[in-house]
Amino acid sequence: MKQKFKRSFDELRNIVTMTEAFFREAGLQPGLRHVVDLATEELFVNMVTYNTESDEDILIEMRPHEHGVEVSLTDYKVNRFDPTTAGSVNVDAPLDERTPGGLGLYLVLKMVDSIHYEYRNRQSKITFIVDRK
Amino acid sequence: MFEIEFGDEGIVVVDGRLDAAQAVKAQIFLDQVEGQCVLDLTKLEYISSAGLGVLLKTHKRLMGSGSGVKLINVNHHIHDIFRYSGFDKLFEIVAASDR
Repeated sequence: MKQKFKRSFDELRNIVTMTEAFFREAGLQPGLRHVVDLATEELFVNMVTYNTESDEDILIEMRPHEHGVEVSLTDYKVNRFDPTTAGSVNVDAPLDERTPGGLGLYLVLKMVDSIHYEYRNRQSKITFIVDRK
Repeated sequence: MFEIEFGDEGIVVVDGRLDAAQAVKAQIFLDQVEGQCVLDLTKLEYISSAGLGVLLKTHKRLMGSGSGVKLINVNHHIHDIFRYSGFDKLFEIVAASDR
């Protein structure tokens, strides 16, 4: 299943609709949804927020993986940014030292089972897999 | 869908998905709250880092005046996010099954 989305947070509801349809058609266990929803949102929001040089729609593809689901997000006409190299977050820091910055990608890297980045012809493609636990 | 409103005894009740599209709505509401803030998360289906940012900002503001945010009726999916984020060390959290 694949679909393109405009560069707007308002598209998040449509991404959820797509994910629901994919899970239903693929017969996947609902328990995987929380991680898939979180990783997809965080990566989409990161593209919308930081790849401001592009006005192209973002392509999201979902396909069954042997034990779960593989999701890819492709952003067109953008500069290279590899989310898999995002800095760590000190989640043990006291409250006065905590800021929300960087938490989204940190959570993605912690919660998905694998993640892969490709950059070619000004296309940035990030693919992650969430497996059955 | 996301809703946030005052319930009984001044408890703040949230309902639905707190994602990046809804974070501004949540922040505007929580910016009005003064003193101890209890958030009932019974109906919170989902939270992303944007929602965590709203909770963190509100907690820091209220802690500055000696109170803070308490999170109650937290289901295990949401609790996982809090745990990975280190929020379980910052907030008083009451799991759904603990009440």
